[in-house]
Amino acid sequence: MNKELLTEILATFKKTQGYIEKDNRLFIETKKEIVPALLKYFKDKSFDRLAMVSCVDRINENKLEIIYILTSFCLDNPLNIILKIKISRNEPELDTVIPIFENAEPYEREIHELFGVDFIGHPRLTPLFLEREYEIPPFRKDFDMRKYSEELFDSVPFVGDEK
Amino acid sequence: MDRNKISKWLKGPAKMGHKYSLSAIYFCTGCGIIEVPPVITARWDAERFGVIPVASPRQANLFLITGYVSLKTLKAIIRTYEQMPDPKYVVGFGSCPINGGMYWDSYNTIKHLDKYIPVDGWIAGCMPRPEAIFIGVTHLWTLIDKDMAKGYVKYREKYESYRKNQEQILGKLEWKPLYPIRRRK
Repeated sequence: MNKELLTEILATFKKTQGYIEKDNRLFIETKKEIVPALLKYFKDKSFDRLAMVSCVDRINENKLEIIYILTSFCLDNPLNIILKIKISRNEPELDTVIPIFENAEPYEREIHELFGVDFIGHPRLTPLFLEREYEIPPFRKDFDMRKYSEELFDSVPFVGDEK
Repeated sequence: MDRNKISKWLKGPAKMGHKYSLSAIYFCTGCGIIEVPPVITARWDAERFGVIPVASPRQANLFLITGYVSLKTLKAIIRTYEQMPDPKYVVGFGSCPINGGMYWDSYNTIKHLDKYIPVDGWIAGCMPRPEAIFIGVTHLWTLIDKDMAKGYVKYREKYESYRKNQEQILGKLEWKPLYPIRRRK
């Protein structure tokens, strides 16, 4: 059944590669324009749960990789569908998937805050966790965490020690 | 009752009251709070030592900082600390409030808690056992007896420096100063 699904996907959507691993994981690599249509397709196939939206910084390829993980509440042996897309690291822009899966909202806010990806059409991309503003979003690989924390936190004096 | 202890009672009844009725504010930061439920329930009954968790900072006089302190939590800690009535004691629990612990190079976790609020005692370890809380409490008794747990007095005296440190790390604070800040000419 899984292989049939895979062949059907590859026939329906162009510019898409896919493979199955460990019998229950279906990896799909695609372009960012196809993502909403693909998610809608899976939702109609009763993969009704968006488990996670995540991001990986591929600094060697100068790309950001966005990962959607889908699974199902109603199927007996649910497949985990892992959808990967690569977007430009310098101008990271992507359409939001909130019209299809509403629970994507906090994930997208988090990715916007920590990786600096702009989700077009997201209703509120306001800060979620962080208090300060960062020049480079802090989860990118070129953010020098050690230098930043030394500059910020070690410059505060102990009370009684100053002067 | 032991007759020898009567003179001690007469010398400082308020101090005895502070010692044996430590009301700990039930404030959860980080992972250390997982040690507190066994401490306050039947296994290690903390009420034997007079330590009882309370819900409101207005009733508390012991503040256990249990675990790493992120910037957002620091804001809440300062607000809670300023609402507590005097005398108040702060104990840093675990290695993260002492020097950052395993978050020593994190971008969002403060390293030294005593730069922002005064801390009377530390319990080292990652994680400390529940017994360590009781050792910490008995040490705090000794400090109260000897007039050494004076963090809240230090906070009042050096409030300008503390407020300056807090504003350096958090930006402008949206609440008013607790004590008046003298302007230097």
